[in-house]
Amino acid sequence: MRGEEAAAAEARCPRSPELHDLSDDSDYAAAAAASSNHTVMRSDLADKGSVETARVDVVYEKEGVTIHPMQYGSGRISGILRLYLQQGSLFLSWEPNEEVDSFSTSSVTMEIEKYRNLYTVKGLPLSDVRFIRKHSPAFNIGVEYIIIVLSSGLAYPPFYFYNSGLRELFASLKKHVFIIRSDDDPNVFLVNDFQDPLQKSLSSLELPGVASVANAMSRQNSFSFTGSVDEARHVTPSSMTEYVSKQKHKSNDPGRDLSIQVLEKFSLVTKFARDTTSSLFRENHNIGARTYGRQQQKHVLDNRANDKYTDHPITPDKGSLPSDSIESDNLPLVWGKQRDNPLSVEEWSNFLDPEGRVMDSKALRKKVFYGGVDHVLRKEVWKFLLGYHEYDSTYAEREYLAVVKRAEYEAIKSQWKSISPTQAKRFTKFRERKGLIDKDVVRTDRSVPYYEGDDNQNVVVLRDILLTYSFYNFDLGYCQGMSDFLAPILYVMEDEPESFWCFTILMERLGANFNRDQSGMHAQLLALSKLVELLDPPLHNYFRQNDCLNYFFCFRWVLIQFKREFSFDQIMLLWEVLWTHYLSEHFHLYLCIAILKRYRSRIIGEQMDFDTLLKFINELSGQINLDRALQDAEALCSVAGDNGAACIPPGTPPSMPIETDGGLYVQEDEVL
Amino acid sequence: MSYAYLFKYIIIGDTGVGKSCLLLQFTDKRFQPVHDLTIGVEFGARMITIDNKPIKLQIWDTAGQESFRSITRSYYRGAAGALLVYDITRRETFNHLASWLEDARQHANANMTVMLIGNKCDLSHRRAVSYEEGEQFAKEHGLVFMEASAKTAQNVEEAFIKTAGTIYKKIQDGVFDVSNESYGIKVGYAVPNTSGGGAGSSSQGGGCCS
Ligand SMILES: Nc1nc2c(ncn2[C@@H]2O[C@H](COP(=O)(O)OP(=O)(O)OP(=O)(O)O)[C@@H](O)[C@H]2O)c(=O)[nH]1
Ligand SMILES: [Mg+2]
Repeated sequence: MRGEEAAAAEARCPRSPELHDLSDDSDYAAAAAASSNHTVMRSDLADKGSVETARVDVVYEKEGVTIHPMQYGSGRISGILRLYLQQGSLFLSWEPNEEVDSFSTSSVTMEIEKYRNLYTVKGLPLSDVRFIRKHSPAFNIGVEYIIIVLSSGLAYPPFYFYNSGLRELFASLKKHVFIIRSDDDPNVFLVNDFQDPLQKSLSSLELPGVASVANAMSRQNSFSFTGSVDEARHVTPSSMTEYVSKQKHKSNDPGRDLSIQVLEKFSLVTKFARDTTSSLFRENHNIGARTYGRQQQKHVLDNRANDKYTDHPITPDKGSLPSDSIESDNLPLVWGKQRDNPLSVEEWSNFLDPEGRVMDSKALRKKVFYGGVDHVLRKEVWKFLLGYHEYDSTYAEREYLAVVKRAEYEAIKSQWKSISPTQAKRFTKFRERKGLIDKDVVRTDRSVPYYEGDDNQNVVVLRDILLTYSFYNFDLGYCQGMSDFLAPILYVMEDEPESFWCFTILMERLGANFNRDQSGMHAQLLALSKLVELLDPPLHNYFRQNDCLNYFFCFRWVLIQFKREFSFDQIMLLWEVLWTHYLSEHFHLYLCIAILKRYRSRIIGEQMDFDTLLKFINELSGQINLDRALQDAEALCSVAGDNGAACIPPGTPPSMPIETDGGLYVQEDEVL
Repeated sequence: MSYAYLFKYIIIGDTGVGKSCLLLQFTDKRFQPVHDLTIGVEFGARMITIDNKPIKLQIWDTAGQESFRSITRSYYRGAAGALLVYDITRRETFNHLASWLEDARQHANANMTVMLIGNKCDLSHRRAVSYEEGEQFAKEHGLVFMEASAKTAQNVEEAFIKTAGTIYKKIQDGVFDVSNESYGIKVGYAVPNTSGGGAGSSSQGGGCCS
């Protein structure tokens, strides 16, 4: 059996971190053993739809190769990793087993089941791989895993080898593709050619635990609309074949066909929206139901409700929109609902029962989602939206909470307040953090009157809260970008302990944005990439062709939730809209797409490369029409529906991470 | 405005050393102590003249914080020049220079001209790194060295222009194939943002992007 061979090989040549050379004989021994086990897959795997007789030679196959899809949870999907040759090229695939691993809890199982398909890797050509990073646990305790990083910069989630087999994998790889160990990092194996010195250098890009929540990003991996999920699961080998033929016949690309479907859906929706405008109250539910299902119908009904309510036409006619010279792409794909007025004092009081409970939190969130909150109410309403106050708490309970939490805050604060200068001398980490925070609070929103001027006391409060937070959550500590989140909160709350707790709760969701290994950011950028593929295939293709698929140009948008892109006033509105989680917890990703879509004709028309695009996106700061972007995002989010949600793996911030014993914030890559 | 060449610069170095202030001093000739810390990257541009030729500097001001490094590394690609900045009043920013250089060596093209800048030289009473140490480090690593102050503007202009001069000389000496944009140099074009085919060094074309 292969395993024994490998074990023998292992014994002859124990793994050593100093080993920089791959060409030890044992690898070849393992490979030889593996190749004697070649399987020939044919029409049993190559599926019914495919006419191609392309022969598929499996050169490596390993069961028990597992993905841990939850960011911090215990869920696992085990599957089969294969390498196979087809028409002279090497491909990699990973298919999940039908059964979720038994050690997952049942609630987790349900979640995983939903996302199983997302992780499937259909034939990934090795030519798309930039490097493979191997993680071998120290002293052989724990499970080895690999991270595959594509030329686009995207990374697959780690594949854990529970039944060993990593060594044979590399041995097989080495037989079929050019693979060398990186000079810079003995755990990094560069794949393919290295004509381009840049490629070599990029290989040392750190992408440690990155993609633990990441989708399997395979290019041809189509987005299955709900109806086709099951189909998709069984046609894996066919898409392998199709991928090859795709190079020649674009029209065979299943992804493309799907794109067309999506576009058609869009155009139907657009048309539908127009129809609706012209005949506001005519009965045309049927069209909606037929073309796009319940979601759309609901959407339209919402529109109507809104329309009666605000006395506005549903669809803004183009002439009435402020013409925005920069926003050259006025393609109205779908119209979102007209923005509403902010929640007023009177409306707010109607939401509360005599004891101060919010009676209909869903309606409240909806109201805020569509219109925001009157500034005088923010101090009160934000605490609910953020989750600091329960919707069904009473005035009295909230008052009590404030007292308790104030004391609790002071206790945490005293932890660093009591550090004497002598103690500080021996506490480098504290000095460093304090130094960094000191330097950063004076560089945060200083043009806002509340933080303006020398010796501004509010800047000192910012400092104290951040330092206290870095003790409260010592593992995460302080990272740049946090002060951007805190400044509007303190401005609204005007109270140190309350601001601290609101900030703390926000960080429960967004703290992962600041993980040292960037896992939270990578997860969101990957989800964004999937969503663009779903909602704007031509733009996705453009990014793919221009090496922009890593979406680094949206980094600042996502990291601090557009804080630097809008004015201080606008950001308060945007954030309260996001915090409602009304249509989606990940509405900010739809906002990214809405904005990208607005400018797509410029991006594509001017053939922007990565550098140009990055600069262009940076310079959109202050230029984006927020209301319109929100409206577009709402429409996109409704249209995407469950298919959109399926693009976003569980645990992706700002979803709540799942707590484990190991702590929430993995700051160091503990694997050697 | 039209230009004969466009050079891409990056400014790198620890957080708080004054990268954004140096950029602002160079592009706007002012010192603004209160401005936002950098997340990701910020851009600046200015025209200069070398050898009677208009040259546009497109400057990428990167974020210095350690945790942004995996992102900022993707900005090195195709930079013709780099200003590597430390703060003469904070020893640790000097100690980190080697790791910044290492990053640059790995992620930028080998011909990138690197200028080492000891910033905040207006604060020499709080100096933690001597001029000689800076000079020595530069010498060991083949960099050009200057102390500067974004506050008083001392040597700011010089730092950017001297770097451009070095790059320009490399072009004259044929070190670069200027039609290959991965060197961070663009030859002036008649049409904004079109890539491919060098239009020669005639600078009369309608200039390019802001
Ligand atoms: N005295 C003096 N202070 C300076 C000088 N340059 C910058 N500073 C101060 O140093 C602080 C940091 O400057 P920035 O330009 O924001 O630093 P940076 O390198 O861009 O930092 P990051 O964006 O975080 O990477 C600012 O608050 C400035 O007031 C200088 O030449 N002299
Ligand atoms: Mg800066």
